[in-house]
Amino acid sequence: MRTRPLPRLFLYASVILTCAILLFPIYWLVVTALSQPDQLRQLPPKFWPDQPRWSVFGAILAERPILLWLGNSALAAIGAVSISMVVSVLAGYSLSRFRVRGGQSLGLFILTAKMLPATLLVIPLFGIFRTTGLIGSMWSIILAHATLIIPFTTWMLKGYFDTIPRELEQAAMVDGCSPLGALVRVILPVSAPGLAATALYGFVLSWSDYAYARTFLTNAQGNWTANLGITTMKGEYISNWADISAAAILVALPILGIYLFLERYLVGGLTAGSEK
Amino acid sequence: MADIVIDRVRKSYGALTVLKDFSIEVADGEFVVLVGPSGCGKSTMLKILAGLEEASAGTIRIGGRDVTDLAPGDRDIAMVFQNHALYPHLTVASNMGFGLKMRGTPAAEINRRVQDAARILDVEHLLGRRPRQLSGGQRQRVALGRAIVREPQAFLMDEPLSNLDAKLRVHMRAEIGALHQRLGVTTIYVTHDQIEAMTMANRIVIMRDGEIQQIADPETMFERPANLFVAGFIGSPGMNFLTAEACNGQVQLFGQPVPVTAAAAGPVTIGLRPEHLEAGRGAVTFEARPVLVESLGSEKYLYFEAPEANRPPRRLARGDEDHRGDRLIARLMNAGPVAVGHPMTLSFDPSRLHVFDPASGRAIR
Repeated sequence: MRTRPLPRLFLYASVILTCAILLFPIYWLVVTALSQPDQLRQLPPKFWPDQPRWSVFGAILAERPILLWLGNSALAAIGAVSISMVVSVLAGYSLSRFRVRGGQSLGLFILTAKMLPATLLVIPLFGIFRTTGLIGSMWSIILAHATLIIPFTTWMLKGYFDTIPRELEQAAMVDGCSPLGALVRVILPVSAPGLAATALYGFVLSWSDYAYARTFLTNAQGNWTANLGITTMKGEYISNWADISAAAILVALPILGIYLFLERYLVGGLTAGSEK
Repeated sequence: MADIVIDRVRKSYGALTVLKDFSIEVADGEFVVLVGPSGCGKSTMLKILAGLEEASAGTIRIGGRDVTDLAPGDRDIAMVFQNHALYPHLTVASNMGFGLKMRGTPAAEINRRVQDAARILDVEHLLGRRPRQLSGGQRQRVALGRAIVREPQAFLMDEPLSNLDAKLRVHMRAEIGALHQRLGVTTIYVTHDQIEAMTMANRIVIMRDGEIQQIADPETMFERPANLFVAGFIGSPGMNFLTAEACNGQVQLFGQPVPVTAAAAGPVTIGLRPEHLEAGRGAVTFEARPVLVESLGSEKYLYFEAPEANRPPRRLARGDEDHRGDRLIARLMNAGPVAVGHPMTLSFDPSRLHVFDPASGRAIR
């Protein structure tokens, strides 16, 4: 089918403009990181530094415990996502498959937790963690992030399980699986793309958190996450924005790497072919 | 292989009863087809038999063993689903061997049985592929293969051919029939297609609104339908219905007295199959003016209006694809040229008439 050139041109222009708007902050972050600190405020601005400062990454890795912060962020995210996925798989599957009295209300109740801003939960969580002695420990941030992630991932997985035909687990049960066995042996492998997307979303939620880390980990420097650590690079009177930008790039790289690794699962249609 | 006894099985969802006292005894090696329109409860019955749904009341025995409260995997049955339900993450070989693996069968034995089943179904060359790489017919063969490697006591099939195109459906119908003859496994097959039921079954169970209407072999079902619903459901095109008043073993049809069973008295519904109408003179002869002629090559479907006095008062259930309204159909073999609007002579043998009580719908014999 032939399309007319003018609408096609408009379409391409829109796509390019949207991509430019989305990518410009990332590009500017890279320009800022590679520029000399005294070049950042010059007018007119330079869209690429004359002598890119590639050594900035090595320098800040030597100056600041960025790898430790990244490790802590990773630990918090992996812990929170692990807990969240176990809870969400069981909750999402139950909401998708079983009709229990009050099940719909329960599902909506979980949904209301999604509507509350995370900062609203900081104070009650602080009270709970102080009582249980978890303030300053990684567990505080893992559990807090799990409370943030679970409502989202439960509904994402419920939606995904809804798209999987019930006949698959019925066939598994006729073949000798228990209901839990059918979930583990058939439904979860078939849901790999949905699980990967959900886990990645939970990982990003945890990785990008600042409020919880600031509240629960401020006095435990050894447990600082990357986001919390970067904010300490901002001085009271002078801030080295080039170094902060370089640190921000290092913090963003793991997410980018994970996304590229999981991309084939995210776009894969593994259920294709199971039924007509 | 085993016999299956279903005794007064009922299924209710709150006040709604979808299955009402379903009872049947299926002999060892028999091929029984449950057939009926959508929502008649046939798939629900099959799922209860498989253990995928719980019965509200009643018992099920397979091979003399009460399986009413057993899990699906403990009933020693295999099921073939309408949408194949192949595990998309496993290869064809793993799909077929999955049930045996769940039962702890040694790998060598699984491999041998998968190879045997693949040979029977001609899918040996597909064993390494995944379901998405197969055509519709191949997927259905693999689904059958998954059922037969288990060597279960019974096969349950839930509209397994519905997702296939018309040509493939006819082919697979014959294959399933041949497979049943070869293996001799007791089979309960659910379909809404009466042609599948008529061609494959040893016995047919016709259902409507959760109730059994008739259980009989295909020939009896066609020749001696128990009620108006069965009469209209079985046969393609469906049976013609006419109203008449029976008196002294006679009814007035097409303006002339026609003998019927002496048991009929008062208002009756007369059934006459399209294939029992013939071109030319016969025992009961009348003139008809075709309003539509459909030619299928060797046979013609002739549509004509029923006489005013015999026109049925309400539209009677015939089949899902029958939209003839008040018209009657004659199915004529090698009738020669037939012109729309020109009167032609038709006839029928009165012994072919079916008589029904219009109030209860039951056959009067």
